[in-house]
Amino acid sequence: MKADVNCVVNGKTRSVAVPVNRTLAEFLRDDLNLNGCRVACDGAVCGACTVLLDGKPVASCSTFAFEAEGAKIETIEGLSSGPAKLHPIQQAFLETNAFQCGFCTAGLVMSVKALLAAHPSPDDKTIAEWLRSNVCRCTGYKTILEATRLAAARLKEQA
Amino acid sequence: MAAVDVGAGAPVRLDGRQKVRGAVRFTSDFQLPGMAHAKVLRSPLAHARIRSIDASRALALPGVLAVITGADISSLPDPYYGVGIRDQPVLAIDKVRYVGDMVAAVVAEDEASAFLALELIDVDYAALPPVMTIEEALAEDAPALFEEPSPGAPLLVGAGATSIKEPSNNVLYEFRYARGDIDAAMRSATHVFTDSFYFSRIHHYHLEPYVNVARADDESIEIWSCNQDPFILRNDLSRMFGYSLHNVRVHTAMIGGGFGAKSYCKMEPLVAFMARHVARPVRLCLTMDEAFHTLSKHSAILTMTTGVSADGRLIARQSDIKLDGGAYSDASASTTIKTGYRIPGPYRWDAIATTAIAVRTTTVPGGSFRGFGGTQSSYASESQIDMIARRLGIDPLEFRHNNMLPPGEPYSPGDSGFDSDFDAGLAEAARRIGYRTQPKRRGHGIGLSVGLKDGGGTGNQALAELKVSDAGDILVRAAAVEIGQGVGTVLGVIAAEILDRPLSVVKYGEIDTDHTPLDTGTHVSFATAVSGRAVEQAAIDVKTQILNFAAERLQCAPSDLDLRDWTIRRGNEAFPLQKMLRDYYGPVGNEFIGRGRFKIEYDEAAPLGSQNMFWMPCWSAAEVEVDEDTGKVTLLKLVVGTDAGRALNLPACHGQLEGAALQALGQSLFEEMVYDGVSLANADPLSYRVPLATDLPHVFESFIEEHGMGPGPGGLKGIGEAGMLGIAAAVANAVEDAVGVRVTQLPITPERVLAGLQAQKQDRDSGRI
Repeated sequence: MKADVNCVVNGKTRSVAVPVNRTLAEFLRDDLNLNGCRVACDGAVCGACTVLLDGKPVASCSTFAFEAEGAKIETIEGLSSGPAKLHPIQQAFLETNAFQCGFCTAGLVMSVKALLAAHPSPDDKTIAEWLRSNVCRCTGYKTILEATRLAAARLKEQA
Repeated sequence: MAAVDVGAGAPVRLDGRQKVRGAVRFTSDFQLPGMAHAKVLRSPLAHARIRSIDASRALALPGVLAVITGADISSLPDPYYGVGIRDQPVLAIDKVRYVGDMVAAVVAEDEASAFLALELIDVDYAALPPVMTIEEALAEDAPALFEEPSPGAPLLVGAGATSIKEPSNNVLYEFRYARGDIDAAMRSATHVFTDSFYFSRIHHYHLEPYVNVARADDESIEIWSCNQDPFILRNDLSRMFGYSLHNVRVHTAMIGGGFGAKSYCKMEPLVAFMARHVARPVRLCLTMDEAFHTLSKHSAILTMTTGVSADGRLIARQSDIKLDGGAYSDASASTTIKTGYRIPGPYRWDAIATTAIAVRTTTVPGGSFRGFGGTQSSYASESQIDMIARRLGIDPLEFRHNNMLPPGEPYSPGDSGFDSDFDAGLAEAARRIGYRTQPKRRGHGIGLSVGLKDGGGTGNQALAELKVSDAGDILVRAAAVEIGQGVGTVLGVIAAEILDRPLSVVKYGEIDTDHTPLDTGTHVSFATAVSGRAVEQAAIDVKTQILNFAAERLQCAPSDLDLRDWTIRRGNEAFPLQKMLRDYYGPVGNEFIGRGRFKIEYDEAAPLGSQNMFWMPCWSAAEVEVDEDTGKVTLLKLVVGTDAGRALNLPACHGQLEGAALQALGQSLFEEMVYDGVSLANADPLSYRVPLATDLPHVFESFIEEHGMGPGPGGLKGIGEAGMLGIAAAVANAVEDAVGVRVTQLPITPERVLAGLQAQKQDRDSGRI
């Protein structure tokens, strides 16, 4: 059984018939070749597959593709137009060494994007509370919190 | 002057832009045309004989291509793997030995069909008694996990050490080490203390799953693997399938975290076997639940009897260590050796006597995990050192200071000298935590510890190759796997410095055993030092070739020339190198290929059979608040430090240290694989709790010393495992400092603290203290 999904992914309109049991992560990775969203726990625990659905962070491994009907989806691939033009959040992650193996990074960057949209100047407690939805087993989080503060400051300057 | 100024600012990691853009290609992203998918059926019983397997219902399911069982696997020339002792079959043959043991595998057109088919495989088991703990396994009438000795040989050791394979029922391995006259030394001691510690079992929780894609036929295998040991894997596959080494080709992409889980052979032979069987590429990607059932850190019981002189000098230590090796060998033999050898810690002793064993139980196999025995030994040793100091009324910092080995002094007779000032580092940790600067108050405590581990590995080696274009672009080829530590960047810095090139022209080659020079695996914090030395040599080789070429063209001696900024200099004259090369070689230009290798020499006079390459300290300090009503321990401040020798990428060093320290903090306070009967109670990503952003200590500091005494280029050494070593003891020591309660079992849960507080109250009420 298939369902029609009409959505906008990173600014591009997509109309695809997907099996009803297809997850959003499978839809993005296998149908659209957007591999930046990573599936790790496959149960909405670790946050590696985080993408934004109408601006809100969701675990794409545990969201059906048909739930994206009519929605605006943002993935890590939509953030920068090339290696030289990083989004301020990506730039902040790069500068503060807020990544190691990189498997959780895209999910974290998307979570930070949603966080900063909701709280442009978050305090440390707010940052930690938001980012506890993303597991990073490599860094020890300190640099990720630093990256978030740096990105917040830069985005505020830009605004 | 070096082109890469590592002092002023950090080099931008070579893989940085790819990673922050989510553009890295992990093995989990890899696909081949016509690829089929596999799933594994796992044993629901801890210990059982397999009477029969009927796969007919599964095979009838649409989309199912094959069901593989132990009977199929038995046709391999050698269906077993393991490190030193090869006792683990690719799929269970005759017996299952733990809940989660791999029994059969389904290959299907898609993952969902393979998954559905698992339930249609009928296995008839004859249950055998489970053996769930070290105590049960060592009981006189304990059921045997293995009826016959397993193939393999004891690992090499040297002076003072004994290494015995399968000495008795359910004992996989025994390591003994002795020096000095232990009986005489104990007799001469004024104080003798015996204490036991229980080290918990934890899981790696690497985010990238275990994933392999293989294609294979009757004479060759090609595999894309998340394994961190491409050449070990190549050799295992070659032996097991009876294929020549060069007919096995392993590709290793960047790895999404491993922490030891992805070392050594695991399910790779199964994937190759299935691919050959169905004559199609096959992908097997395990779930995280399955990863929990694949490998764990060794839980352990460690008992030490330590003798101290009247004036507070450590004299002798007799240790008895029992590691839970789980159902199969994996890396248990070498973990046993390393745990046993490290138990004395960074102190001077008159005599040492250690026995360490790995015990077989019907549980998840124990294997490599960051720290590799050093975590177990550091936790127990540094806990007891602290307890002894407090019992003797000596300040724990002072006690350590008085007994610490100084730089240059051998760790053991025949081994290498300390290449770090352990005492200075501990003093720095104490300074940062504010040791003895605050008035003592109950409920608040500070604990110190010095974790210790050797690094570089026994007899390890790495080869490296540099391909340098005539434009001066550098391709570094080495088998050190990029697993998050930033190895490509550090090796790139080493090469770029010697060739006076900016890091921006360096590329770290993707690993392919057909083209990448061999190494002994990305282990033991080895790559910066061992691979680093090989890359250094390869770069010197290239530079020599360049200067020889230029000298020939300019009719002078190479020693008259220098290479700076890709230009040959002779006094005040400058000759652009690319032009010289094009003038001679033509428009396609030339390529310099430099080679290097480094091997840690074997040495029978050294206890482990080769002198240790470098020493990794983990200077740890924890400040805690203990709530006496709930037993909850709150980390107010955590300080962790190590010695990088020389830091080529300082932020990356801090990152390694902090990441490891937070893993260790999780194990200290809450993280643990819990068995409920024969099954794991929390073998899934949700109920197994790992540290989150909200678990950070209120203040979390790391510091990197650069003592410059390491054996790597410019005095550097590895630090990858350091942060894991000392944290658990520091936290336990801080809890005792706060409330006088010693928790001798990890994790230090509120329940255990409360139990200690209650016992303390009873003692007080009964007038015992």
